[in-house]
Amino acid sequence: MRRGTGRLILLAMALLPQFAAAQQHAGHAAPADDAQARRQRAWDERMALARPLSVGAALDAEGRLWLVRVENRRLLVSHSVDGGRSFSSPVMASPQPEAVMADAENRPKIAVGADGTVHLSWTQGLDKPMSAYIRYARSTDGGRTFSPPVILNDDRQMISHRFDSLAIDGRGGVAVAWLDARRRSAKTVGKSPQTDVGIYAAVSGDNGATFGPNRKVADHSCQCCRTGLTWASAGPVAFWRHVFGRNIRDFAIAGLGGGPVLRVTDDDWEIDGCPHHGGGIAADGSGHAHIVWFTNGARRKGIFYRRVAQTDFSRGGASPAMSEPMPLGDPARQAGHPAVAAAGSRVLLTWREFDGQRFSAWAMLSQDAGASWGSPQKLAEAAQQADYTLPLLDARQALVVWSTAAEGLRVLPVAEGQP
Amino acid sequence: MIRTWLFVLLAFAATGAAAGELRPFTGDSLTQIQRQFAGRPFILTFWSLTCHHCAKELQALGRLSRNERKLPLAVVSTDTPEAAADIQAALQRFGLDKFDTWVFADAVPERLRYAIDPAWRGELPRSYLFDAAHRREAHSGMLGEAQIKAWLKRQRAGE
Repeated sequence: MRRGTGRLILLAMALLPQFAAAQQHAGHAAPADDAQARRQRAWDERMALARPLSVGAALDAEGRLWLVRVENRRLLVSHSVDGGRSFSSPVMASPQPEAVMADAENRPKIAVGADGTVHLSWTQGLDKPMSAYIRYARSTDGGRTFSPPVILNDDRQMISHRFDSLAIDGRGGVAVAWLDARRRSAKTVGKSPQTDVGIYAAVSGDNGATFGPNRKVADHSCQCCRTGLTWASAGPVAFWRHVFGRNIRDFAIAGLGGGPVLRVTDDDWEIDGCPHHGGGIAADGSGHAHIVWFTNGARRKGIFYRRVAQTDFSRGGASPAMSEPMPLGDPARQAGHPAVAAAGSRVLLTWREFDGQRFSAWAMLSQDAGASWGSPQKLAEAAQQADYTLPLLDARQALVVWSTAAEGLRVLPVAEGQP
Repeated sequence: MIRTWLFVLLAFAATGAAAGELRPFTGDSLTQIQRQFAGRPFILTFWSLTCHHCAKELQALGRLSRNERKLPLAVVSTDTPEAAADIQAALQRFGLDKFDTWVFADAVPERLRYAIDPAWRGELPRSYLFDAAHRREAHSGMLGEAQIKAWLKRQRAGE
């Protein structure tokens, strides 16, 4: 289907000069003052991609698989009790059609608490490129109905509030973090050596019924890489591509409770540009943080994993012990877009490779909190476009959700085999 | 669905009439661009509407092009053909619409990127400086006016 439409576009483009000429002859050319409206419509149409590939997924306490995807500008939530072979009929979680961002670094997020509450966060594209709001909704009746979505960013300028990430503690704590350009409007920014984007968060203590005021976690972040968020023993911890000095785009960790910004990668990727390639974080049962990331730095290139020892990230002076960065995947096959999930002492790493023609999905499992690893497993290939891999893990299951254009939504089991 | 593509087509037609042509960049487009600049140095720049730094890069190139009317430049958007209206509006705003302009047109854009350069991981802006023999120098991130000027000067001295 996508290939077909691609051809149609090429055909349309080939015909353009004739079309344009015909239009002029017929006197139907759009008036110039209509340009803004035309751009607006084109943007709306683009945001309305009928079924974007990027989805969100989570396991609940009973091991059911929950899925959130976008169709015709609506968020649809469904679940599976048989490991992804079949799904419940989807429930519409957004009452009005809106431009839910679901493409590469953007996707709707879903998390399910021990009490069955289903939490959603997403980025709602606005009328201007790169402008968006952060949205949240929840279901307290097992996913049958959803609360009206709220806007979490308390700054309401039509600017970039994007790249949301969601984490819950299962006991009423809900946190959402995102990249926020609200300082951009301040006159000082133009002359400042700092980037005009920072990381902000909103935290709820009542299971998402209400959120506290927005908190600034840090200034001077990179502008368009996805953020990561996890709930560690001492509270929610964010992981994002920061800017160190003038243009070193390595990764940082900070507790949302107001701790210091800790640099956790030292790849020295100096780039006056957009990597469009973030990382992920997951805390295990002992509170260790497991991070994965991409870099093209002077000291390291490719995707890597590292364990950051349990620490109270919200306290000043924290300097956790970290394992050596472990390279993942085949750099010659563009191993990229890594993700991580943790449960108890189990840790699951996943990533995507591309050989120039086809994508493949890969996974690696540890049963001892990252001290040792099973061999990398190639789970599947995709003939056409493919989303990032999404790891799902609990005590009994290790799964990878992979949304692909030609083969559809796949739920791939990871072999437990090795210790 | 049909409506969407019809709209895309009309958007192309409407803007195509007013501004320079935005061509679909496919598997053999780089060869085509190199043929256009045969025996001459040129700058190939990739950008996107969703890239924070790209606007600044295009602005710098636009500024440079006002004094360098014959700037040897090809500008390729890594967005999709559906975004043609936005792309052309941006190119017009930066005064780059009169140059050789393209937009990625493949259901798997990673294939285009890989064919251009497997070492390019999608970071933007991404530029290639081709000398007269078409030996190329890759650059990730903004080039900046000063760097482009210095490169142009070197190329002209070598010609």
